[in-house]
Amino acid sequence: MSKTPVRRVGVLGAGTMGVGIAVVLLRAGHHVVMRDTTDERVQTGIDGVTRFLDRSVELGKLDEATHRDAIAALAGTTDATELADREFIIEAIFEDTETKADAFAELEALCSSDTLFHTNTSTLSVSAIAGRMRDPGRVVGTHYCNPAPLMRLVEVVRGRKTTDAALQQTVEFLQGLGKTTVQCRDTPGFIVNRFLVPFENDCIRALEDGMGTVESIDAAVRGALRYPMGTFRLLDIVGLDIHRAVSLSLYEQLRDPRCAPPPLVDRMIAAGDLGRKVGHGFYSYEDSGLMGT
Amino acid sequence: MSEAKTAETGSSATPSRSRIAVLGFGTMGSGIAQVCAAAGHSVVVVEPTDALLEAGRRRIGAFLDEGVRRNKLQPDERDAVLARVEATTDLEQCAGVNLVIEAVSEDLAIKVDLLGRVAPIVADALIATNTSALSVTEIAAFLPAPHRVAGLHFFNPAPLMPLVEVVEAVQTDPETTAALVAFARDLGKEPIVTKDRPGFLVNRLLMPYLNQAIADYDAGLASAEDIDVGLELGLGYPMGPLRLLDLIGLDTHRHATEAAYAQTRDVHYAPPPLLERLVQAGRLGRKTGRGIYEYEAKS
Repeated sequence: MSKTPVRRVGVLGAGTMGVGIAVVLLRAGHHVVMRDTTDERVQTGIDGVTRFLDRSVELGKLDEATHRDAIAALAGTTDATELADREFIIEAIFEDTETKADAFAELEALCSSDTLFHTNTSTLSVSAIAGRMRDPGRVVGTHYCNPAPLMRLVEVVRGRKTTDAALQQTVEFLQGLGKTTVQCRDTPGFIVNRFLVPFENDCIRALEDGMGTVESIDAAVRGALRYPMGTFRLLDIVGLDIHRAVSLSLYEQLRDPRCAPPPLVDRMIAAGDLGRKVGHGFYSYEDSGLMGT
Repeated sequence: MSEAKTAETGSSATPSRSRIAVLGFGTMGSGIAQVCAAAGHSVVVVEPTDALLEAGRRRIGAFLDEGVRRNKLQPDERDAVLARVEATTDLEQCAGVNLVIEAVSEDLAIKVDLLGRVAPIVADALIATNTSALSVTEIAAFLPAPHRVAGLHFFNPAPLMPLVEVVEAVQTDPETTAALVAFARDLGKEPIVTKDRPGFLVNRLLMPYLNQAIADYDAGLASAEDIDVGLELGLGYPMGPLRLLDLIGLDTHRHATEAAYAQTRDVHYAPPPLLERLVQAGRLGRKTGRGIYEYEAKS
């Protein structure tokens, strides 16, 4: 990875995905400025990145020198003008087309005409996010899987106006990060969520229809399909509220009933059964202290 | 795989605990017979010709030899498992079994004809069908004691796949279900109980997903390779859907999903046009050297 040139990268959004992507960039030797809307958020993001890198050293996955260089190559800001020298902008902000499109348009006015703009959206249209730019050819969808530092896959999405050159540079950049890329059309859910979300809803409907229990359906998914985790365990980790939002977004775009959140999802949300983050979803976690990160 | 080990080394269990009849010595029949024999049961397998019996016996032998080669099984254990499998063309040899597991062609007429002939021979044995696409309830309705009939759906390859679906027909009584759950657990499998509805549980979930993969591939979502790699790396699936389809066989999947569509009229089970075209073209997957992908000829 050391052979790839060091890049100046701006990461928009210091949440879970922004932190994960920053870790990936720093490990590959790039320089990162994280931007978020408040100093507190920026600091939380910096702390998150630092914690991850510290832990990597403890686990023997990162050497001291790389760790020191990575920390030195990380900065945070709330000020857009500090991103003016960036060669890549990667946005991982709130999943809303307008917000993302505005962020890109604002930075396009500040950055060089060569800067590439990557959006980490998982369900929105890359073409729409590029919609407010004078030069939308430089916008590419790069959907990282969560947790970004551990998952090799990045979905590369070509918007309506994305140029061949932007796409190719993006793929090379991602390969330099140690990622495996797949390319897909700018279509709702790309590959991973387009298949995952309806499958999850099918499992929920099988439960509603009395085809099995939470436990037996998870056992079937693991034991016959050999998936690494049962669907209901996974949904509890994702969070029922998040699943509902992603599901509804796909349904509104595709009108495929498999994407529509089944009634049980609404009932669970109404009852506060949001998943592991609150201690109960399809399963109960209240007595279990062993579920760490 | 630890499950494989359980099934292969289960031969240390008490020998000859019960006598089981397996009808059909094809891929599923031989896998099921092997699992039962490895768990210490004595198994009688029935096929109409000696050639089919010979083929089934060779299939089990080859599977067990591989276990020996990988040091997961001792040669004497292999011999003991094979010794517990008796192959015959004579249905009368099923007399005295506790359980019949039917694994013949997925054809209602063939299944009910055979089970109709075996039922008077086996008296009060439980009768289980390994069907994946037919109605267990309909099969049970042809038999003299439908309350003792249920589905026992193994997955391929049966010696390696841990899950078994115990499928309750409308007529199945709870004791039958409980006995089959206990039996499957004793084989070292993980049984789940489900209802006799199209696809049962696993195929109900799998078929729409596979159909979506073909349809989205046909629509140019991404290359076949990228769809498969995306789901393998993004979700940790052991095999992407298009590779899985080629492994299952496109004709086999088409038959199953058509059957589910006929019973549900749910468009998600309808065979996508590209699936039909590939089957028409004889591109059935790995077994023909070409399906969605092209494979090198087997040496």
